[in-house]
Amino acid sequence: MSDIVDASYFDGRSSRLHRVTLQVVDGVARVRGDAERDSPLAELRVSERSRHAPRKVTFADGAYLEIRDLAGIEALLRRTGHSDSWVVRIQQSWRGALAAAAGTVAVLGLGYAYALPAAADWLARAMPPGMERQLGQGVLAVLDRHMFEPSRFSDQRMAELERRFKQLAPPQGDAPPWRLAFRQSRYGPNAFALPSGDIVLTDEMVRLLKDDDAVMGVLAHELGHVHQHHITRRIIQGSVVTAGATLLFGDVSSLLATAPAALLDMKYSRDAERDADDYAIAMLKRNGIPLEHLARAFERFEQLEKEDGAPAAYLSSHPASAERSAHVRAAMQQN
Amino acid sequence: MEQFLEPAPAVAETAPPGPQRIAFHASGSEYFRIWIVNLLLTIATLGIYSAWAKVRRNQYMYACTELAGASFEYHGKPVPILKGRIVALVLFGGYNLAFQYSLAAGFCMMALLAAVMPWLVWNSLKFRLFYTSYRGIRFGFDGTLKAAYFHFLLLPILYVLSLMLALPFVHQRIKRFQHTETRYGAQHFCFDASVGSFYKRYAILVGLGIGAGVLSAALGALLTALIGRVGVLVAVFVGYVFMFLLVPVFLNMIQNLIWNHTSLGPHRFSSAMQWTAVAWISLTNILAIVCTLGLFTPFAVVRWQRYHLESIALLPDGSLDDFMAGAGDGVSATGVGATDMMDFDLSM
Repeated sequence: MSDIVDASYFDGRSSRLHRVTLQVVDGVARVRGDAERDSPLAELRVSERSRHAPRKVTFADGAYLEIRDLAGIEALLRRTGHSDSWVVRIQQSWRGALAAAAGTVAVLGLGYAYALPAAADWLARAMPPGMERQLGQGVLAVLDRHMFEPSRFSDQRMAELERRFKQLAPPQGDAPPWRLAFRQSRYGPNAFALPSGDIVLTDEMVRLLKDDDAVMGVLAHELGHVHQHHITRRIIQGSVVTAGATLLFGDVSSLLATAPAALLDMKYSRDAERDADDYAIAMLKRNGIPLEHLARAFERFEQLEKEDGAPAAYLSSHPASAERSAHVRAAMQQN
Repeated sequence: MEQFLEPAPAVAETAPPGPQRIAFHASGSEYFRIWIVNLLLTIATLGIYSAWAKVRRNQYMYACTELAGASFEYHGKPVPILKGRIVALVLFGGYNLAFQYSLAAGFCMMALLAAVMPWLVWNSLKFRLFYTSYRGIRFGFDGTLKAAYFHFLLLPILYVLSLMLALPFVHQRIKRFQHTETRYGAQHFCFDASVGSFYKRYAILVGLGIGAGVLSAALGALLTALIGRVGVLVAVFVGYVFMFLLVPVFLNMIQNLIWNHTSLGPHRFSSAMQWTAVAWISLTNILAIVCTLGLFTPFAVVRWQRYHLESIALLPDGSLDDFMAGAGDGVSATGVGATDMMDFDLSM
């Protein structure tokens, strides 16, 4: 004996609603009422179980039954041996959903902390050098128009600094091709590297440090960015983080999607700065320049931060200067 | 235990009495479970599962949307959705990378994107409507590709050239194109909102924006005189809140305008959205999402969808039983060109 479930039947040709009942007898679904038809169970398709949506049973020709008696149809399905897919079973249990939530948090956290930086590092190294050099090309031209003026240093002074830096050996391997670009800045002391291998050094930075060995330390830090492909990595990591945040929050608000992406990117930025500091420490050590010079450079930045009240351009999204000078002093202790 | 839904109206052959409001049965907690499992599988498969996730999500949302005793159904297939997503990823990813590469490459990609965008939108509209059905009858989109290029490429260019003055006109033309080319079975929708009515809504928006600006400037001057420099900050904050409120006010005016001027044969629609409710729901949703680090998102989506959908009603004029399926819309047949349709997820 089998129980009977109320249903609405739509034939797929007109929008007419037929009031019917559904019964299963000997493996055959029997529809009776305003419309009548029989169909073997194997030819029917059942929509996924849910607590709030009506259940649909679709015939091979597209006609279907809409069933609002969810408990009735569930009992009927269970007796005919129908079973939910594993995704539906997880979705419909709170234990499964909580495990999925924990899994999501774990995968996101591990991906953010380890997998993404490792993948971006691999990709940046695998990228043809020509392509990487193209990235950010034209940036220097834009900056020259809006922020920089030609350096006031004499050609002799520039050549002297460049010659000194060229003589230093990188901590390991061959240094990638680089070029020094001297500029006078409207925004104070600054030094930065572009993926093209251009290392920009402002006159103000050289004057602030008043110590060519410290300038070598700063340049070594920038060479570290070039050598370890930091900007390319940041571009890759930044796009993935932005895409992820859009996936998570995009359907609610675009602001909600960009704000956490920007915050998460800060950690990658500080990590890159620490790596470049380590690179500079190793490079100075290898070339026999006392680390004292680099430590004092960071202390000068710290002083500048205090005087200005706000971090200078060079210091934003970097670790605190006090922390960086402490790190260099700790490295000095090790020898 | 399983729940019972209210039974469908017993009288189906005659005209349903009075306005038929859409009812949305989805619950935030059930959608949360669907969402979190989909999210985990999507991340674990590096995004590939997202196409299957979209099908699951839409099947749930459509099935939970009930109108006059019957629910909607989503028939989209994951593989075409996945193909569409890959194409979109290549296009938009290429666009972003091109600007990193060089300015010229960036502008080339921009031109390419503008040239293919109408085709993408056209495909998405066809896909979304063809794979939606109600009472066993499929929707469809009959707009030609040529008309899509006119509405999604030429008109936006006109809007830029007119220094945005043509925006209400362009908006009306696009909505008219979308609604009149959409059909339910063999029956086309009609759209009779005038260009003037769009200009009126935009004028109200601009008026309110100017009013809010003047008001917060006056408030700033007054407060600065009274309490000094802090007054400026207070006025800026008040101005920001005003601007934030303008968005729901405008959205609600436009949705009401569009649905109150859309009809299907003899049947009309009505939309009764309240801007206060829209503002309240958007504000509390955003706050709750921020406070729960995103976990409230599925609840917010259901909450918003419920308000959005339940404010729309069908005003039937006669029986709803007489719509016929369009030619070639057989559910088992693939439909004209349906096999090479892709979904690009461009929400319109």
